[in-house]
Amino acid sequence: MSIEDPTAAFRVEARELLDQVEQALLDLTHRLDDPALIDSVFRGLHTLKGSGAMFGFDALAAFTHHIESAFDRVRKGRARATLELVATALAARDHMRALVEGDAVPQDGAAILVRLAAAVDAPRTEPAAPPRSAGREAATSGWRLSFRLPRAALAHGTNALALLDELRALGDCTLVARRDMIPPLDQLAERDCLIAWDAELRGAVPRAAIDDVFLFVLDDMELSVTPLASAEAPTTATEVTPVLEAAREHERSAADQPAPDTSGERRARVAQGELVRVPAARLDTLMDRVGELVIAQSRLSQLAGDRHDLLLRSVAEEIERLAGELRDTMMVLRMVPVASLFGRFRRLVHDLARETGKAIALETAGESTEIDKSVGERLFDPLVHIVRNACDHGLEPPDERIAFGKGATGTIRLAAHQAGGAAVITISDDGRGVSRARVRAKAEASGLVAPGEVLSDAALLALIFHPGFSTAAAVTNLSGRGVGMDVVKREIERLRGTIELVSTEGAGTSITLRIPLTLAIIDGLLVRVGTACYVIPLAAVEECLELSAEEDRRSLGRSLITLRDRLVPFLRLRELFASDAPPDAFQKIVVVATGREPVGLVVDQIVGSHQTVVKALSPFHRGIGSFSGATILGDGGVALILDVAQLVALGQQIEAAMEQAA
Amino acid sequence: MSARSIGGWLVKGSAAIAWDAHGELEVLTFDLGGERFAIEATLVREIVELLPETAVPGAPALVGAVVNHRGRIVPVADLRAAFAMVAAPPTVESRLVVAELALDDETLLLALRADRVREVVTLAEASSGDAPSVGVRWPRAYMRRLVRSGDDVIVLPDLAAILAPAFDDTGVGG
Amino acid sequence: MSASILTVDDSASLRMAIRIALTGAGYTVTEACDGADGLARATATRFDLIVTDLNMPNMDGLSMIRALREQPAQAGVPIIFLSTESDAEVKAQAKAAGATGWLVKPFEPEQLIRVVQKVLGR
Repeated sequence: MSIEDPTAAFRVEARELLDQVEQALLDLTHRLDDPALIDSVFRGLHTLKGSGAMFGFDALAAFTHHIESAFDRVRKGRARATLELVATALAARDHMRALVEGDAVPQDGAAILVRLAAAVDAPRTEPAAPPRSAGREAATSGWRLSFRLPRAALAHGTNALALLDELRALGDCTLVARRDMIPPLDQLAERDCLIAWDAELRGAVPRAAIDDVFLFVLDDMELSVTPLASAEAPTTATEVTPVLEAAREHERSAADQPAPDTSGERRARVAQGELVRVPAARLDTLMDRVGELVIAQSRLSQLAGDRHDLLLRSVAEEIERLAGELRDTMMVLRMVPVASLFGRFRRLVHDLARETGKAIALETAGESTEIDKSVGERLFDPLVHIVRNACDHGLEPPDERIAFGKGATGTIRLAAHQAGGAAVITISDDGRGVSRARVRAKAEASGLVAPGEVLSDAALLALIFHPGFSTAAAVTNLSGRGVGMDVVKREIERLRGTIELVSTEGAGTSITLRIPLTLAIIDGLLVRVGTACYVIPLAAVEECLELSAEEDRRSLGRSLITLRDRLVPFLRLRELFASDAPPDAFQKIVVVATGREPVGLVVDQIVGSHQTVVKALSPFHRGIGSFSGATILGDGGVALILDVAQLVALGQQIEAAMEQAA
Repeated sequence: MSARSIGGWLVKGSAAIAWDAHGELEVLTFDLGGERFAIEATLVREIVELLPETAVPGAPALVGAVVNHRGRIVPVADLRAAFAMVAAPPTVESRLVVAELALDDETLLLALRADRVREVVTLAEASSGDAPSVGVRWPRAYMRRLVRSGDDVIVLPDLAAILAPAFDDTGVGG
Repeated sequence: MSASILTVDDSASLRMAIRIALTGAGYTVTEACDGADGLARATATRFDLIVTDLNMPNMDGLSMIRALREQPAQAGVPIIFLSTESDAEVKAQAKAAGATGWLVKPFEPEQLIRVVQKVLGR
């Protein structure tokens, strides 16, 4: 059990609040007079201030107070929301984040407050807090009290008897109830508090102590207090006990308290009472255990299958079902919507727009598409790279856009949807597109292609992802992409994903990423090539066909097969993997595809589907290209998982070579 | 030279020999292709009988296969490939020496093929020498020291240097 | 039997702090994450005391207090509200809605316990 630490919980919560505030601020830049957004910012800051002060983040609370006050003024119509205010608040948000993390630079805060003061009308001087005469007055020898509680006091939870007890505890006290206000029984409302009391309180009791007793009803009750004796003893009064200071504080200032707020909240909220926070590492551990369980279970199923023990088989089937369900549940636990991933780009695009002086709008779609949490985290950096490239190089400055008959504002679009076992994420812009001439010039300059070498458009664009492309000289002024796209590609491939670039000169560029929903367990098709077994990710499999001996003979010498009037390149895995064993009489073709181009993989046998727990290969084998990982089979042996994207690329090379030869 | 960077990974403690204060080193000795090798005993995790191996097509012969070692996919290294020895079929005495190499931020398990595992012995720096530049048919860079122990000459291979080409081959990606 | 207290706050850290303080003082604490949740929980179970934030999404504290006071079963259940700043207007609104008392943030655990003890009369 971890020890509960409210301060740590506050840090987590503060980060979330600041992110929500940031989102609302960014929305605000488009809809400056949306009261719901102003409210949302205000509420976030308000909570941050209140909780921050609770947990000793005094600097945060003090700083936040200023920003909150500014938004409160806007909320109440006393100031106007301006872009400058929003920009200042964004800077303030970053400073608050630093205050939460404990790495704030105090000068930053001071500068922001100066900027803030300029952004809103100079703050109205708050009415000075009335000085409190806290228990400094002279004590008397006692007090005569006459009081009547508010009529609704009992119904509102005030415990009248407890109040009388408190009064008695102050000193020697005699109480007499007056019932003159009690109406006839038939007019009596059960909960009304109608009794009045007269009391004499003897002793050196400070006047404030009496107020403390009635603190919560003081404003609404009848209370008269007169000193018992006129001879006022100049004794030093005891200080008011500070116990109820916090409750009393309302009297110190009459500052702006938010009016009750009923406006709709933008952030989607699940009932937090039903949520449990779990460190991601524990989920990972659980995932590993589930993976091991799935392996052990498939071994059990295999053993049970070999025996004629019906009882054992039924238990094995039960375990198989349970393990499968556990696996599915586990997967769902790890899935998060891409909304949080996309959300992080609003700020980036906002900042890039400021940096580059371009007008940039960010559109998002399909934010509810879910991906494995760890996949999402590892996607962030590549996406930043792509979006940054699009803003820096893809989108034109406003005047250039207008000259080309486009709107002044460029658009970056992030879209996601799920397709089979993969999440498809598209990053597109409506900028100038990739200039083929410049790519070629650059590729020739860096020796990637010979001058004048004939290249298909796809091959030319593919150069952008070549490692040698971006490491070459200066990339300034290169239209389109190129800055480290090889790094992006490698990272996407590490996620067992693929990347595809489509670009129309003058109209924009679109990059499509296909990422498996999860990295940990996949459904695989187990195939045999020679004596070895391999796993093909089922998500990539389009169909399985038989390769008849006749077709096999006919196709010898050329690696293309006719599939429904379409020529599909295929790879003989036994050749690719240099298997010595003689081929089976009836080989099979497994047609796989990533993107649009299918490739056939010729195997000896299709063994069946296999729940595949993906294990990483060692650094020695990561780069070979044909394999994306390995898995452990039911018999304890190891099967390599085919990297379909790489094989498809290989198939396309063959196809291109065949076309040229033809 | 206390560590060596290969393929972006840093294999620590491989090149230098960590003789202790008395100039001694505890090693595990094993036979391979008629020669006797030794690796630091601290690197050895386990000695296991041969496991069913899965060949990795396209991988260098030095690390041409993987095995399932307690649920982990472990590459199998055959030092014969590095020392230009003739491949030999396994015998009843063949074993895998599972060693743990420390990389930058992860540990890499490696199963070394051995024709026969000998013993854990203490070698003395005093009886060690650099590999002679002539008279040895192997690449000098692959040996850290030759150590005399009794009548035997034991080779302390430089695993980092031996494995480096395997990284280089595959480090860049398809 | 220890008194049962419902704490309603959208801030998880604050709920945690309140729960730690009150359970440490021997009370039984139930948490609700906003006004709607609080209303649902209080309607399902009668608590001896409710400690609620005012500024909350879904249903703010004032609306929750009003809704609770409309239920005959909730009459007399003390409700303490937490507020960041004190403001006579808000205080008046909360009291009119039916709140019993209040506590201004930030507060020390001891202050919370004293107010709870005061309102519960023990």
